[in-house]
Amino acid sequence: MISVGTPLPAPRDSSMSIAKVRPCLEASGVRKVYGAGTAAAVEAVSTVSFTVPHGQFVAILGPSGCGKSTLLMMVGGLETVSSGSIIVNGEAMTGPRTSIGIMFQDPTLLPWKSALDNVLFPVRVLKRSMDDYRQTAYGLLQQVGLDGFEHKRPHELSGGMRQRVAICRTLVYDPEVLLMDEPFSALDAISRDEMNELLLDLWQQFTKTALFVTHSIREAVLLADRVLVMTKRPATIVEDLAIPFARPRSIALGENRKFNEICRHLRERIEAGHDRPQALRRGTAIRRREPAT
Amino acid sequence: MSVGIPAAAASRGVPAIGSSLRRARPVALPIATAAATLLLWQFTAVRLQISAVILPAPVEIAHELWRALPVLISQAGPTALDTLLAFAVAAILGVGLAVIITYSPLLRDTLYPNLVFFQLVPKVALAPLFVIWLGFGSTSRVAFAAFISFFPVVIAAAVGFAGTDPAALQLCRSLTASEWRCFMLVRFPFALPAIFSGFKVAMTMAVVGVIIGEFISSQAGLGHYILNAGSRLNTADVFAALGVLCALGVGLYGAVALAELCIRRVYGRH
Repeated sequence: MISVGTPLPAPRDSSMSIAKVRPCLEASGVRKVYGAGTAAAVEAVSTVSFTVPHGQFVAILGPSGCGKSTLLMMVGGLETVSSGSIIVNGEAMTGPRTSIGIMFQDPTLLPWKSALDNVLFPVRVLKRSMDDYRQTAYGLLQQVGLDGFEHKRPHELSGGMRQRVAICRTLVYDPEVLLMDEPFSALDAISRDEMNELLLDLWQQFTKTALFVTHSIREAVLLADRVLVMTKRPATIVEDLAIPFARPRSIALGENRKFNEICRHLRERIEAGHDRPQALRRGTAIRRREPAT
Repeated sequence: MSVGIPAAAASRGVPAIGSSLRRARPVALPIATAAATLLLWQFTAVRLQISAVILPAPVEIAHELWRALPVLISQAGPTALDTLLAFAVAAILGVGLAVIITYSPLLRDTLYPNLVFFQLVPKVALAPLFVIWLGFGSTSRVAFAAFISFFPVVIAAAVGFAGTDPAALQLCRSLTASEWRCFMLVRFPFALPAIFSGFKVAMTMAVVGVIIGEFISSQAGLGHYILNAGSRLNTADVFAALGVLCALGVGLYGAVALAELCIRRVYGRH
């Protein structure tokens, strides 16, 4: 008994020290092929590798259909990896985990539940005590400017309000890692700016590790510490850029010259990796031509 | 302009009457139509001296109904009981099979086309088979009524389960919930409106099934009563029994609608 018990603390210690040095998220050679082995096989993600240290906000930027959402779902354990590996907090992903919170493109609120109950939905699913979290939920709703709307149902809320409820729902059970899949892409420009500002504010308070998928260059630069640019064909990362702006940031950063330079650089990187014909890229030709195969 | 103001004031008064009329219309119009039909029926039956065997006047039927009411109510008992039993069997089996179909692609591919095909078969014609298989007791009636009311429940529930917001299910899965928990927290509540529309059809079908069963084999129940009164050419009695049967059908359907209202209130959906 003793001889089995004593060696245990040593590896546990060493694994903890590894965890400290180790990045929060490690993706190495991640590849996703749909319908592998068939004639209709589609390579959605091809050999993507990156690491994210604890507490970093990383935006994955790319045109629609470049496989960035698939990549995010693989990190969240909702999609399997065709080859390669994803390690979160030192453990390979084999399925969903409670330490990872996912925010989807749509708010996906349950229409029969009030805003408050929607925020508390993860608590219900995880079978934790609702009473322990009710105060947290009220606090979060207040923080996103929804005090007074706690008992409204989703159909009584605007699109931006619903997405704010979804943010609270992701934060309520305090996951370590946040995965956001174009969460504001369905909103109008004004609501989107509001949500970006809100997310910046929340970020000051909850420093979590985050992956934020978006196709908006400005949104990526405004929110993230680091931007990964993904392209189609091959669906892989072509640029890994640190964003130098200090926090707290605000939406006014968008008028900064450096900000716009970074945006221009990123746009060029995206376009370079894009498979559109040259003429269309310059914006001179209107007629769409199919790329030569 | 000075002409416009009184005109506007006047037109503001007219819609007030018009709108209250319009609001009463969905209730008043069908009631008025039914009352007018009864009046026309009464008038025609009396004026043309139609034989009471062919078409008894509504007043006559009302008399008969009043006279036979205790018997009719006692006869409605077994009919109601059989209907409720059949409905319960159909509801449980129907939703159960829909769950199996939803979670097993193999069984869905195997069973679903056959279920849809069976929807098209005139199942009423199969009633005598149930008597052959299960005898003249209440079992054969309940089984037959359950059989014909089962299909709408399966189809409606399967459609409801399949129509659940896939993003909500993914959210549930991302929270490490088991398939069963996802079902209870997301899929089932999402499918409730569809399930209840199936239940409503099933309840009316169950009444039909039980009455047909009683036509064929029963010694009691409203179906038996109607057949008996018909064979005695007591047409007023037939109509009286039909009236009670209508009330029973409406009551049972209303019970389903009420249950839906309660459950939806629990889930907070209007």
